[in-house]
Amino acid sequence: MTAGDTVIRLADIGKSFSQGGAPVEVLKGISLDIAVGEFIALLGTSGSGKSTLMHILGLLDRPSAGSYLLNGQDVAQLADDHLSELRNRMIGFIFQSFYLIPYVSARENVMLPGLYGHTAGRRLRARAEELLALVGLADRMDFKPSQLSGGQQQRVAIARALVNDPQVLLADEPTGQLDSKTSVEILELLSDINRQGRTVILVTHDQQTAAYAKRRIVLDDGRIRNS
Amino acid sequence: MTAASAILDRLRLSGRILRMALVAVWAYRLRSCFVILGVGLGIASLTVIVAAIDGAERKAYEIVDTFGPDAIFVIGGDIHNRAVGQRFDTLTYADVEALRQSLPGAYLVVPMRSEHNLPVRFERNKIQVSAIVGATEGYAQVWNWPLAEGRDFTAEDIAQGAKICLIGDTPAQELFGDDSPLGQTIFIDKLPVQIVGRLIYRGTPTGGGTPVDERIILPLSTLTQRFNLDRKYFRALRVKVSSTENMAFQVENLRSLLRHRHGLEEGEPDNFSLLTADEILKFLSMFKGGLLVFLGLTATVAVLVGGFVLANLFYLSVDERKAEIGLKKALGARNGAVLAQFLAEAVILTLLGALLGMTLGMGLAKLLEKLEILEILFSWKVFTWSTLSAVAIGILFGLRPARRAAAMVPIEVLKG
Repeated sequence: MTAGDTVIRLADIGKSFSQGGAPVEVLKGISLDIAVGEFIALLGTSGSGKSTLMHILGLLDRPSAGSYLLNGQDVAQLADDHLSELRNRMIGFIFQSFYLIPYVSARENVMLPGLYGHTAGRRLRARAEELLALVGLADRMDFKPSQLSGGQQQRVAIARALVNDPQVLLADEPTGQLDSKTSVEILELLSDINRQGRTVILVTHDQQTAAYAKRRIVLDDGRIRNS
Repeated sequence: MTAASAILDRLRLSGRILRMALVAVWAYRLRSCFVILGVGLGIASLTVIVAAIDGAERKAYEIVDTFGPDAIFVIGGDIHNRAVGQRFDTLTYADVEALRQSLPGAYLVVPMRSEHNLPVRFERNKIQVSAIVGATEGYAQVWNWPLAEGRDFTAEDIAQGAKICLIGDTPAQELFGDDSPLGQTIFIDKLPVQIVGRLIYRGTPTGGGTPVDERIILPLSTLTQRFNLDRKYFRALRVKVSSTENMAFQVENLRSLLRHRHGLEEGEPDNFSLLTADEILKFLSMFKGGLLVFLGLTATVAVLVGGFVLANLFYLSVDERKAEIGLKKALGARNGAVLAQFLAEAVILTLLGALLGMTLGMGLAKLLEKLEILEILFSWKVFTWSTLSAVAIGILFGLRPARRAAAMVPIEVLKG
């Protein structure tokens, strides 16, 4: 895969939930191509369907309609275990609340996705340490999350998202719980990672955050707004 | 991916999940302590109970061994259907002679009767002996009761009505202390008799009654003559057979011979009772069966309580660790991996509980044995049962919470 190839192709994705018996359409025909190496901001207010679209992009949910090609493979209706494996291999998650395991060290948190994959233990450990150094935490590897600041915790989470060398980084409001200075550092870090060729999808409601991305997609009432 | 590397992958994942489970067991120490305690107490009672049942079984075999597998005990009167006013004096010396002569396989037939609570004196030492037994030659042999010193009765002793006796361990201790009683003359009531043999200490009471070690044994002829007993009947008799094969058949032979001699019609009940090792074992195993049901139920309840403690704490734990579970699933842990981790945590804790329980249980059992409340035997059974039930409890009660964890949907537990 080289830059410019399509990594994600959504065609006419729909998603509806039934709420109190009545179906509610949250996504109404989303079509979207994302190329390798893009830095995309997925913008939208709450209720716009932004979260649902992110869940589908992250293989955490299945669309009700349409097709989703990830690296050319149709993943719209795969079974749970298959989706687990694809998430493990292809997608790196970064969450607003970091979601680190509180009782293990930064190093072991970074190794976590690798534990469910196919990398040998020693290589996995070396990779985790290399990534922690990359995000500037070489001297904090044995710290527990509670011993780290919010910004540092998010750096651990970013290192964790990279450990299986995924094609796509999916960051859901990664700066939502950080102060503005730390937010800038985290966004710079994501930009750096993108410059090295990795596709980054940044989900946010904040215009300033979205400004770091090279392309903006605005979701409104379940549709992509042309801008 | 080749098949071999797929297997290696699986193994590696299993090892990693086991390690995660161990780390979590340590991380949630409080939960772990309660589960280990809950399961441990259950396993402790199970341990005591298994050890007690094994002890009771060993005791049963000891009793049967003492009784002798090659012996039949005949008692006058029917102990099974004891009719009111039924006679106990139904066994006669003629019966003994008939058995000696015509019961195939019987090589020793010893009739017995006894007098109770007679004063016994040696020099100035006076004691009360609960049973003075009269028997014929081969008394020690017929009871499988070795002599510590001296000799058994012979046919001549009986024929002559010799004034000799065998002395049980208790009166020997009381009258002679650690000195040998052999050759000494003691007075039973007013009858002087010489001690020719001392029976070893037996300890095991054959089912209630007075302890066997308190006996003094006289030749039957001497007892009946000197204490003015009738000379026709006696109370009980021991028969030893040369082979324990077809024991049931030999017992039937004995029964029909006695019935014939007592002139019993078909349909009439026996006026004597036959007791064999088998019968004692049957009785004891019936008793053991009751014990097993009662104690088994108790143990089951105790272990189940441990299981419920585990299930409850695991439900709480799964709730508390929603984010961790959702995260792991989002990062690519399959449902099976999450299920396996929680089951592994449960089984690790129940196994630790089993370890604690066995230690506690063995200590408790030892204590009960010291206090002479229980007879205890530790065998591989304790270990096997404890370990197996611990694993079973871990899987049984850990499964539902583990399933709940595995079924969690990441997007529902990872908000924001």
